Amino acid sequence: MNTQPLKKNISSYIIQTHEEEIKRIAMELHEGVGQSLYSLFTGMQLIEKAIEQPAMKSYAGDMNQLLEKTIQEIRLLAVELHPPTLTTLGLISAMKSYIKLYTSTYGIEVEVENLGVESQISDRDSITLFRVCQEALVNIARYADTMKASIIFKWKKSRLLIMIKDSGKGFEVETAMNKSSGLAAMSERMHLIGGKCTIFSKIDKGTSIEISLPLY
Amino acid sequence: MEFNVCNKSRKDQPFKQACEQVLEELNCDFVGLALQNSNGPDVSWHYAAGNRNDKYKRITVRYGKGIAGKVISTGRPMGIEDFPNNILGKALEYPIMLAENLSYAFAVPIQFKGVLKGVLLVGNRTKQPISESDQHTILDAAKRLEKELNSSI
Repeated sequence: MNTQPLKKNISSYIIQTHEEEIKRIAMELHEGVGQSLYSLFTGMQLIEKAIEQPAMKSYAGDMNQLLEKTIQEIRLLAVELHPPTLTTLGLISAMKSYIKLYTSTYGIEVEVENLGVESQISDRDSITLFRVCQEALVNIARYADTMKASIIFKWKKSRLLIMIKDSGKGFEVETAMNKSSGLAAMSERMHLIGGKCTIFSKIDKGTSIEISLPLY
Repeated sequence: MEFNVCNKSRKDQPFKQACEQVLEELNCDFVGLALQNSNGPDVSWHYAAGNRNDKYKRITVRYGKGIAGKVISTGRPMGIEDFPNNILGKALEYPIMLAENLSYAFAVPIQFKGVLKGVLLVGNRTKQPISESDQHTILDAAKRLEKELNSSI
């Protein structure tokens, strides 16, 4: 009996459920906890203004600052978990926003090029593409030892091609694929949505990752 | 505009020199100074000595995140040994260690007018731990930098 389609369905179901749960937590943090904290913050600001005793006013001010910091933390955490722009503004916008954060976190400059007109893709496909690109960039920060990388999006009539390149340390693809579950997961994720992820790398010659997805 | 640039580089000089002095004194591989941004809680790396690239200039960590953010939020020194092994959390949470390819690091807080505002980090790329006496030297250097900071701003 061929169990491959069943395995593919199960993997796809697990990944999709996982993504939906992450999205739910992100929404809950942003819309629920974040909003409640914001209400508290505005209330505290009113209380601070009304207090006349200097010591208590200063204490209320400190509490307000802490609340503001916490609200910002919650917002950033929600965005880190699931990019809200992915559904509203699309893949390119979400990737540009992620790359901005990526550069300010790891100090690696990423050149983004978008060729062609961005097509509408399903939520499931766009989150998969986003996660695969994210994994590729994170691997560059972790292992490539480079200052620059590039990402090119090519929108063709029937296919989307994404190329992520760096001129870093490079690695033996076969050995790394057997060792790193991250690299294998990138290929697996793309396979589950009918796409492909191919990794080219040579020691001291950098790495190039090609992602393709048929567009219908 | 030109005046501001000259003025800024003149202001930067003592901090750069302090980093280079620590680098020489301890014979270590990397020394970095991070400061909390004036317009928010985020922490950025401003000065370095022994750096392999300029990545540090673009790295900003949130208050409580990364080595710099953690040291500022707790107000206590922090040591990392044999990175990326035996660390708390993920290696990706330590961008300066990744950017400078460090294996060992020791970071101490720096106060400005009694408030924690900066971090001095000393690191090694080789398997050379930072000894207890080196840690004292780093703490002394941090005190010197505190004086510089307080007198310059």
